[in-house]
Amino acid sequence: MTRSMIPEDPRLLVHAYVDGELDPANALAVEKRMAADPALAAECERVEALQRLVRERLPREAPPPGLLARIEASVELPRPRAQPSWRALAASIAVTAVLASGSTWLALAPEMTDPVRDGVVAAHIRSLMAPHPIDVASSDRHTVKPWFNGRVAEAPRVVDLAKEEFPLVGGRLDVIGQTPVPTLVYRHRQHLISLMAVPASDRANSAPVLRMVGGYNMLRWTEDGVFYWAISDIGTADLDKFVQLFRTSSPDQ
Amino acid sequence: MVRGDDDNARFANVVLPHLKDAYALARWITGNRADAEDVVQDACLRAFRAIRSFANGSARAWVLTIVRNTAYTWIGKNRPAALVAVEDIEAVEIARAIPGDPNAETPETALIAQTDTARLEAAISGLPIPFRETLILRDVQGLDYREIAEVTGVPIGTVMSRLARGRSRLIATIGRKES
Repeated sequence: MTRSMIPEDPRLLVHAYVDGELDPANALAVEKRMAADPALAAECERVEALQRLVRERLPREAPPPGLLARIEASVELPRPRAQPSWRALAASIAVTAVLASGSTWLALAPEMTDPVRDGVVAAHIRSLMAPHPIDVASSDRHTVKPWFNGRVAEAPRVVDLAKEEFPLVGGRLDVIGQTPVPTLVYRHRQHLISLMAVPASDRANSAPVLRMVGGYNMLRWTEDGVFYWAISDIGTADLDKFVQLFRTSSPDQ
Repeated sequence: MVRGDDDNARFANVVLPHLKDAYALARWITGNRADAEDVVQDACLRAFRAIRSFANGSARAWVLTIVRNTAYTWIGKNRPAALVAVEDIEAVEIARAIPGDPNAETPETALIAQTDTARLEAAISGLPIPFRETLILRDVQGLDYREIAEVTGVPIGTVMSRLARGRSRLIATIGRKES
């Protein structure tokens, strides 16, 4: 938050502190005030206890089964639900590209012809709509990594980022193009982050590049023959932080 | 009006993934399942008609904004008293500039932790709507303050005071001895 948004009331600051909305300097200032003021420290504990209670006891109710169908009918979405249109799009573009014999057309529209990117977006969206966004649910990387053995050519690198507020939730298998791809799912607050590790032994290492597609932020980079894609609806700063942490943390910590 | 496949695809990508959050928010605002279904269905129709205006930013915040506004329209039509009463409460509390009730008991953390599901649900349902929706968006759906300000159409400072008031009331209610 910017300086002008910082309220005077110390109790409001405690709430903002618990919610992780303060920058490091202001967070430190609140910690000092709480150390000196037991009433503020108690407020902080109560807020944290309440958040835990809500997280653990409040049921998350799914929408009734017929709702999706009624919505699709009311906006006349084709049923059964069309495959995410990237397939059709990618196919038609591939044909066009062949007919135009490549060079000029592709050079003019390089951003539109990325079936991998579109596949990553589609896989992430599908996972959010599925009853379970993960195939193997575990916060333990020693459970998640072996799960991929035998399912994909190479199990992905898995690191534990729970301390940095990006706990591992699990993993799943996505199919990008025709390749089974291991996807790790991390969580930041209530938002899920899908991290796909697409095998790409022929690609040189490249630094992360940010894209926004259909309301989702994506970061992609290449490292050690793996083409990584991180996608989520968290803000760009948070996603950037996540990717940095993932790249710099050792799997053997 | 002719609508292309593009709109359908966009709708499926932008709106449908957030159906669960949309339904949850509508249920907490309206207070019951049947009304929440109507609100979400209506909101989806609005979102579909406006799908071309969604450019960048968080798709979830965009969808929840529409759901929230639709829910308020619904309440204005069906239970206008709920909204009027709420504005009065907030005006009084803002005038006193104190979050929550200053005389409320401040229960021990352990007591909060023991609260069962039914009591918690009842306590949240009993919150005035602006406090309730802010609390749900933050503590259930995990939006940050900036996103909540966007969804509820108020400044961040108001989000903060509503959150503090809502939580204080909730803590006081669940900390009270069961009657």
